[in-house]
Amino acid sequence: MRPSAAAEVVISGGGWRLPREAIIALLVLLVLWELASRNAAVLGVPAFAIPSLERIAKSLITVTWVDVVVTVARVLGALLCSFALAALIAIWMYCVPRVERYAYPLVRLLMAVPVISWILFAVLWFKHVEFRIGFVLVAVCGPLFLVDMLSSMKGVSKELRDMIHSFRPSTSQLFRKLMLPAILPALLTSWKINLSLAIRVVTIAELVGAVTGMGHQLSVAQELFSVADVFAWTLVLVAVLFALEAVLNQIEARVLRWRV
Amino acid sequence: MSGLRIQAQHLRKQFRQSANGVLITAIEQLDFVIEPGEIVAVVGSTGCGKSSLFDVMIGLQAPTAGRLLIGDREPYRDFNGFRGLIATVFQQDRLMPWRSSLDNVCLPLELIGLAPDEQHRRARGWLERLGLAAFTDAYPHELSGGMRQRVAIARAFVLQPAILLADESFGHLDEVTAAELRETFVALARECGSTAVLITHQLEEAMSVGDRVLVFAKPATVLADIRVADWPAERRGELREAIQLTLQSNRCDERIARLAVQQPADAVIEQLGARDKHEQSDQAIKANGR
Repeated sequence: MRPSAAAEVVISGGGWRLPREAIIALLVLLVLWELASRNAAVLGVPAFAIPSLERIAKSLITVTWVDVVVTVARVLGALLCSFALAALIAIWMYCVPRVERYAYPLVRLLMAVPVISWILFAVLWFKHVEFRIGFVLVAVCGPLFLVDMLSSMKGVSKELRDMIHSFRPSTSQLFRKLMLPAILPALLTSWKINLSLAIRVVTIAELVGAVTGMGHQLSVAQELFSVADVFAWTLVLVAVLFALEAVLNQIEARVLRWRV
Repeated sequence: MSGLRIQAQHLRKQFRQSANGVLITAIEQLDFVIEPGEIVAVVGSTGCGKSSLFDVMIGLQAPTAGRLLIGDREPYRDFNGFRGLIATVFQQDRLMPWRSSLDNVCLPLELIGLAPDEQHRRARGWLERLGLAAFTDAYPHELSGGMRQRVAIARAFVLQPAILLADESFGHLDEVTAAELRETFVALARECGSTAVLITHQLEEAMSVGDRVLVFAKPATVLADIRVADWPAERRGELREAIQLTLQSNRCDERIARLAVQQPADAVIEQLGARDKHEQSDQAIKANGR
């Protein structure tokens, strides 16, 4: 087995261990950054554009955690709403093929709309800031959840469907005993993808139309020409994403422990 | 639970191919009766409609014409009425990979709403009977093919169903394991008093498990209905040869016709004569067409 593959196995197995290669790569990046910061003049770049690690660390200390919590709450709230809505519609589309034939083209249409257009629509249509952000996140993540869910439900093997049908389950039993466990791996993957997307979308939405949250703080940092603050908030965003992904990985390792 | 009677009355099943819309006849016309508690093997060449019959018996497919009755009801029309009455063992084990052996066996009991304690008690009992007491917590990927099929058999028997259906359930296993599982299956079916239908393409299997063997033409009609007890052990080779000839020629071998169970020999010969006439007329039409 390749060393990288071995590292992946260690991580996906739940016993998380930071691989040595990742630490070395991070250290090299930090050293290069610090060198570039100290030699900005030689590189012909203004000193403020490449702040030192010390300056970024100082900005990190001043990060307002309430903004972090607000952004995370917005992301998780909107993802849960998107997921619930998508699940209801996906089940309806799965159970009634005619509904799917009508609704699927609309879903594809929604997926083709750029994020920035959703943000502009939200600003134009709604007054309330939280509603605007929630609307944008649901409009962007909902269709993705729906398509993933629908295709994974259709992908459940006919053999297993026939097997459970031969025992005559009710519709609710069919979904609880077969569909949900069968599509769980796909759902978790969908959550990971949507989480990463939602963090990026919420940042843009907050940047444009909010007075709280990490996106808003990025906007403030940009207005103050504080590159160190921009970097600090970006690092926090990345850390939040990694932390949420780690939680999902833990859940995945727990609920999919039956997998080889 | 004691077995139920299975009766096919002028049963016909056709499919329209989704790719080109061509109508395919899987079951031409089936008429047979399987009495409660009987174990019947169905043999036929590949694509002769055995699996279509299996789907109609489970209730997953509606007949195009005619009726298939279990007791006095049709499994397709009265689908939910058969909950807990029909159990199946498929060609592949079809175990849920996310469930342990015990939980897989519990599935049919969960669906009929049995209390969890009782589910586990019964499931453990059946796993023990099938030699899997030490593997109740194992996931399917941790078991061999034979062990997985044992779990599938336990899942079918845990309901103690009135009707047991097996669709080429042992064909993919090695000969020793298959023979062992076949024996276990038949013994348990007799013990439960279930009416059992085993679909197979293996003549040895059909002759060794069934009280009767139904030989299907392609598309499905009953070419021969053989009561195995009518063929003493020393004539089994001859029976095998006769079934082979029946399958190859798509007409009932005379040796079988003489001992036909439900249809007197005269009726069979008459039927064969009618078939000959039908084939001759087909050939004449084709010849005229040319």
